[in-house]
Amino acid sequence: MPELDVIQRWFQSVVTHPAGVDEGVESADAQELIVLRPGELEKVILRSKNLSARDRISIYANAYYARLTECLGETFPVFRRTVGHELFHDFAVEYLRACPSGSYTLSLLGDRFADHLQQTRPPRPGDGADWADFLIDLVRLEWTIEQVFDGPGLEKQMPMNAADWRAIAPGAWPHARLVTAPCLRLMSFRYPVNGYYTRALASKPQQDLPIPEPADRWLAVTRRDYVVHRYDLSLPQYILLGSLQRGRTVGDAIASTADVTPMGDDELAAALDSWFSQWTGREFIMAAEL
Amino acid sequence: MGLGVGLRSVHFPYILEHNPPVDWFEIISENYMDSQGRPRYVLEQIAERYPIVMHGVSLSIGSADPLDFEYLRKLKALARDVKPLWVSDHVCWTGVAGRNTHDLLPIPFNERTLKHVVDRIRMVQDTLERPIVMENPSSYVTFADSTMSEWQFMARVAEEADCGLLLDVNNVYVTSFNHDIDPVEFIRALPHDRIVQFHLAGHSNYRTHLIDTHDDHVIDPVWQLYRLAHELTGGVSTLLEWDARIPPFPVLHAEVLKARDFKKSCAEPVASVPAAEIDAPRVDPRRDDAAWVPHPLHHVVAEVR
Repeated sequence: MPELDVIQRWFQSVVTHPAGVDEGVESADAQELIVLRPGELEKVILRSKNLSARDRISIYANAYYARLTECLGETFPVFRRTVGHELFHDFAVEYLRACPSGSYTLSLLGDRFADHLQQTRPPRPGDGADWADFLIDLVRLEWTIEQVFDGPGLEKQMPMNAADWRAIAPGAWPHARLVTAPCLRLMSFRYPVNGYYTRALASKPQQDLPIPEPADRWLAVTRRDYVVHRYDLSLPQYILLGSLQRGRTVGDAIASTADVTPMGDDELAAALDSWFSQWTGREFIMAAEL
Repeated sequence: MGLGVGLRSVHFPYILEHNPPVDWFEIISENYMDSQGRPRYVLEQIAERYPIVMHGVSLSIGSADPLDFEYLRKLKALARDVKPLWVSDHVCWTGVAGRNTHDLLPIPFNERTLKHVVDRIRMVQDTLERPIVMENPSSYVTFADSTMSEWQFMARVAEEADCGLLLDVNNVYVTSFNHDIDPVEFIRALPHDRIVQFHLAGHSNYRTHLIDTHDDHVIDPVWQLYRLAHELTGGVSTLLEWDARIPPFPVLHAEVLKARDFKKSCAEPVASVPAAEIDAPRVDPRRDDAAWVPHPLHHVVAEVR
């Protein structure tokens, strides 16, 4: 009688083999644990009146990829729609084979999907972004939405409002550090995936969705009242918010933004007031540390 | 405690708006343990209005891997906040060697695995500082290493670990069909004073075997078994699970309310339950993934604008 550890590792090895039970039983991993020659499966699994041992264990093997592929499809619905269910299944099986779940929760099942796609992507034909970059950007967006939806939020806190801003002395501003909302995520993309994602949500599943041309885009993803919101950003806004989120003072963040954007100092200065006003309304900023 | 249903996120808006007259809700613990968003917020509101039971799918009590004490810490924290009537999981394992298949996998029923499971339930109960309730899962294989029946195993687990039992009546039916055993004998042989809850669900019939899909109405032979179980236990809390092709809430609620009829008819003794079901077309499982996944796990979908 094999030890429980041995029989469980054998069983897991067989039912998670991507090529099916027969290949799973014959695989080196399984044979290392329990040596079975062809036709000897019933030494471990008994047959029933209706099903062979192979058919019986195949129920678990069929379920493994089906169950987890379905879960990944719910996490990345627009990616699945874009590549089609058949290709999505292939992507998912390859991902689950390379990065099997080690967590008690399904909510982390897709946490390495974008990295996996990046590592296994085909070489770019040229210098520019290609379709693989589009798919990876789309997966990054969908994963971020998932994380923001159920991660920490500010629903039980009070973000900064206009009165809070006015209470700060003008001379104190450059030295202030802003605390951004815990749910605020800043993202940069090589394709306009946010617009594509919006069109996907607004259209019927069978409707054709053309893949857009490459174009650099920046995005803020956040949550208010337990619903995820997405806001397009300009490059200067993305740089400034990123600097603030990393803890730089307002003065330093503005200076670093001015250094790397084509906006002139006057243009940037004129824009700042409306940007901070907009970000306040969107609850990007929690507090100012003076 | 009466008749309850499994809480699923697709029903959140209906429940919050209509306050349906459900006796209680059962949650999938893992869907709320780490939630800091809408699922946890909705749960807090529902827990203020209804009794809650926590039902887990990742305790993996039968695994050869060490118990995951970080998981137990989070489970305990959720129980502290939600104040469930009890906490349950399955007599199964979900993965080994650090992996989680997210399936409820079968264990061989023998003295060695019995001791393993009993020892671990005791550790879990000590850690959670509360008794736990263990469910019989549906299963599709019999191990050559098994030396006792599932009902003998479950009965001894309950007695030796001093825990409660969650009798899934549909699982008894599915397992009995798949293993060529008598579901009535299964239910009669359990320690009825240990049973604190029943589960009911629909399943799929592939003629040669049944799969516990939680995607349809409860069939009549399962209701007949429920009537027997009710008679033998004197009646305990009953919950309907529906995890795939989930219908509107009123349909779900109406399904569990059918249990009232079977409870009333307990005066008629149950001698046997027909094993044969209605003829259903054999379906090649590989052709329709969504329809045949055993006990699908509910995944909360993000709300986004």
